This record gives sequence, structure tokens and C-alpha cells, in this order.
Amino acid sequence: MAANFWTSSHFKQLMDQEEVDVVHSPDKEKGITLEDFKIIKMHMANYIWKLAQQVKVRQRVVATAVTYMRRVYTRKSMTEYDPRLVAPTCLYLASKAEESTVQARLLVFYIKKINTDEKYRYEIKDLLEMEMKVLEALDYYLVVYHPYRALSQLLQDAGMTDMTHLSWGLVNDTYKMDLILIYPPYMIALACIYIASVLKEKDTTAWFEELRVDMNVVKNISMEILDFYDNYKTINEERTNAALNKLALKPSLVKLE
Amino acid sequence: MEKYEKLEKVGEGTYGKVYKAQDKTTGQLVALKKTRLEMDEEGVPPTALREVSLLQMLSHSLYVVRLLCVEHVDKNGKRLLYLVFEYLDTDLKKFIDSYRKGPNPRPLPPSLIQSFLYQLCKGVAHCHSHGVLHRDLKPQNLLVDKEKGILKIADLGLGRAFTVPLKSYTHEIVTLWYRAPEVLLGTTHYSTGVDMWSVGCIFAEMVRRQALFPGDSELQQLLHIFRLLGTPTEEQWPGVSSLRDWHEYPQWKPQNLARAVPSLEPEGVDLLSRMLQYDPANRISAKAALDHRYFDNLDKSQF
Repeated sequence: MAANFWTSSHFKQLMDQEEVDVVHSPDKEKGITLEDFKIIKMHMANYIWKLAQQVKVRQRVVATAVTYMRRVYTRKSMTEYDPRLVAPTCLYLASKAEESTVQARLLVFYIKKINTDEKYRYEIKDLLEMEMKVLEALDYYLVVYHPYRALSQLLQDAGMTDMTHLSWGLVNDTYKMDLILIYPPYMIALACIYIASVLKEKDTTAWFEELRVDMNVVKNISMEILDFYDNYKTINEERTNAALNKLALKPSLVKLE
Repeated sequence: MEKYEKLEKVGEGTYGKVYKAQDKTTGQLVALKKTRLEMDEEGVPPTALREVSLLQMLSHSLYVVRLLCVEHVDKNGKRLLYLVFEYLDTDLKKFIDSYRKGPNPRPLPPSLIQSFLYQLCKGVAHCHSHGVLHRDLKPQNLLVDKEKGILKIADLGLGRAFTVPLKSYTHEIVTLWYRAPEVLLGTTHYSTGVDMWSVGCIFAEMVRRQALFPGDSELQQLLHIFRLLGTPTEEQWPGVSSLRDWHEYPQWKPQNLARAVPSLEPEGVDLLSRMLQYDPANRISAKAALDHRYFDNLDKSQF
């Protein structure tokens, strides 16, 4: 199973945290800080999730869409690529790549239904144009691996299927961060199992030892996830809007009609 | 796209025309696969997206046609997507035809059949190890470089990444002649075995220079298979009679497979019979096929 991943383009595209954390100069010029950058991406991950619930696609499609969105912003600025359009476009593209196509018309209907803010209300035409730009930004690499499959297999192996619900939820939450761009999916799965086992006070030391994985990496990822939960509490809508407002996209880019 | 000079139209792919073209600066021959993007409808067709993303993943194998790049052009308001592939001069169908028809009909050299089959199994094993089923293997989809004796898998438009557990896939996918019996019988769960059945049919076709099971309807296709291999029984293939499209069929006894491929040596017949097992679970995998003794006298260092 893992062999698939190691030879995949996903593996070859893994990046270092420092590379992922680069705020592109057009955004920097507008005063976007690294924290703003992270908050906007998290907000957009949530937005994708909310839209996905409306159009009813699997978690896997959401995970792929969020990964696309995060990859786009390792290469392109938010000034040029409005996150409010990139996010739904990534969901649209992921639904096609994962073979559960959502019609553009339907997606736009729900975009308008859940957003009263004009800045989010894009048309089909905008979505389709952005689709090409996103594809090019991704260099047409669309196959993405996720921690879910490894998670099920590992839990089975560890005889800890009772922790499926908790650890699955933890994996979902990792998409609010950039982990999927940095670590192999199965390491992310292990970190989630590690956190779950600590929370449930299960002793997994022997099992982890047998796996012969680098526990430092597992623990580092776990710490990042726990740190994220701590910080997450302090992020509210106001903070998110403040970050987005800095972008202040020119109206001409938003609406042409 | 000014980089390329179109030389001739060489075919129609699953979703668009294919041109032979030449890179003006390097002189390299390429195959251009054109896809029109209907921007007022649904953007880039999912089949094209799937092919591009699977190819991006798989095309570092020698036995899968290489995708060199993707070009997106706007021409008079029409949006086109070109997939730029390496160019190979023919496909296995035309290649086999050239041995069957024309001024000098003759069998394919046994060593060439062996080499082509080995390369095909390599390519299929590569796809399967990446979790991708091709689902439409047929001679037209196998490109051949006559000079170098190279065979590569192309047209992954119907391929899809499979995840475990395997889910129901849509039906109506494989060209009838190469379609596995479980697909014809309406199975809801299918896997790598569907590609191996096709490989078996292609193997036999190289030997015979004509299709092994040339059915023109789903029923005819099944009857072709049953007449040669015998009507499948519950014993050979547990669960067969509960498949959706199973009916009571005439009871044919299995024929001697060697008689269908008279010029094939016994090891080859053995490998073929393992590819044409009724129960998909018993069908040989691409990886195991590479180790079959039919390939014992093949110089594998060249692959």
C-alpha cells in the first residue's frame, strides 16, 4: 500500500515547512503576515468543507480539494488567485478527479445560498476560468494520497478499531493545517493514532516500537496538531475577516458583468 | 502551441482527435491529443483530467506512453487542451494486421510475441502497483515502436485509481472482445483481474493474428468464451450463478486451449490458461506473470 505512495508524484512533491510558509511578495506588500496566510487557508479549508456538505461529496473529495488549495498557495499569491474563488474551484476540480463530479451550476447555486457577502458570490464562468488556472498551478498533478486508508489499516493492525471515530476526526482536522503538504500521509495517520491513544490512555508504546517508524517525527506532528488546537480557539471571524480584508482585491477582478 | 507543426491526423481518442506533430526546434516527433473545453458547460472533461493525472503519475515507466507536457490554448475564444505525448509509429492492432494482410502474410516471430507480452505485463504491473486499473486494454491501445521492438500502454482515459475496498464501478467500459466474463456477467466488484483477462486475449491474438473471442454483443461474447473454455460452473467459479446477468446457458465442455493457439509452445499455453481463469481470484497477476516460465528464455536484461 505504502509503496504506491512512495513512488507517487505526491511523495516527490512533499515540501519543507519553510517552503510552505512563504508569503508571496504581492501578498506581503499588502501586509499579509504568515499568521494571516495560515488563517486564510484554514478559513478556506472550512469553506470547502461547508460547500462539500451542501453538494454532498465524500470526505475524500474534501481532503483532495483542500490539498489542491494549499498547493496552489505554495506557488501563487492570494492577490492574484482570490481564495474565495480558488476554494470552490478546488472542490469542483477534486470532485472530477475523485470521480464524483459536482455540476458547476449546482456548486454556484450553493455558493450563493451560503454566502451573503458579495465577495464570495462567483459565477460559473469565473469557476471554469479559475479551473484552468488552478490546473496549471498544480502542473496537472491531481493524484493525492490521504491518511484515511493508512489509518484504517493501522488501527486494525493495532487492534484499536474502537478509536476509529476519534482518530478519524483528528485526521479531518489536520486539513486545517498544511501537514498534508509536508509529511507522508501515513505518518499523519500515526500521529493521530498517537494523540488518540494518549487521550484514551491506551498504552501503544510496544505497538509503535514494532512499527520501527521515527517516533520523533510522529511526536513532532502530534505536537503541531496539539499546538494548532490551542491556537485555533483564539481565531474568530473578526480575525479571519481582518486578514482577508488586507487582500482587498480590486473590484474589477471580481466582477466584470 | 506554435512550438509544434501538425503533420497528420492519426486517430480519434476516447475524447478527441490525435495528431502526429513535430517540435519545430528539436525536431522531436510527438502525438498531440486535442480536447476541446466546453467552457459554458462543465470545464475540463473528467476523462481528460483523469487521464492527465494518472499519466502524470504513471508515465515514468518505460511501458506506459510518456506524457511530455500539457498545453492550454485559447484560440478565437475556443479553449483547447493539448496533451503532448511521445510519438510511436504504430499500434499493436495495425502491427498484427501487417502480419496478417498484405503481400507477405506470416506469423509474428515467437520471440517478439514473448517480448511484447513481457512488456505488456510490465506496464500492467506498474499500473496495478499504483492502484490504477486500465479497464480498456486492447491492441489499439498498445503503441508499438517497430524499430526498437518496444510496446507501451496508452489511452488511460478509462483507467481509474482503485481504492480498497473496491466499490461498484460503472459498466460498459471494456471493448467487448477483451472484456472479462465477470464484467459481462454484471459483477459489482471487479479488480485487477479484468486487465489480466484482456492481456490473455491480446496474447492469444498475437499468436493467432485474429481475435480470440470476437463477439458482437454481450451475449455473443459470453458464448464465444463458453464455447472455448466451457460453460463455467459453481465449482470452478464460486458465486458465478448469482451474478446479476447470469442465465442458464448451454452446457459446453472446455476445449483444448492449445488448439486455439496452435503455434504456441506449451509454456505459453500454460500462461495463457492462467490469464483466462474464470474465477478472477485465480487469475494470474501481472507481477506473477513476469516470473512465469514462458519468459525463462527471454533476455530480461534489456527491460
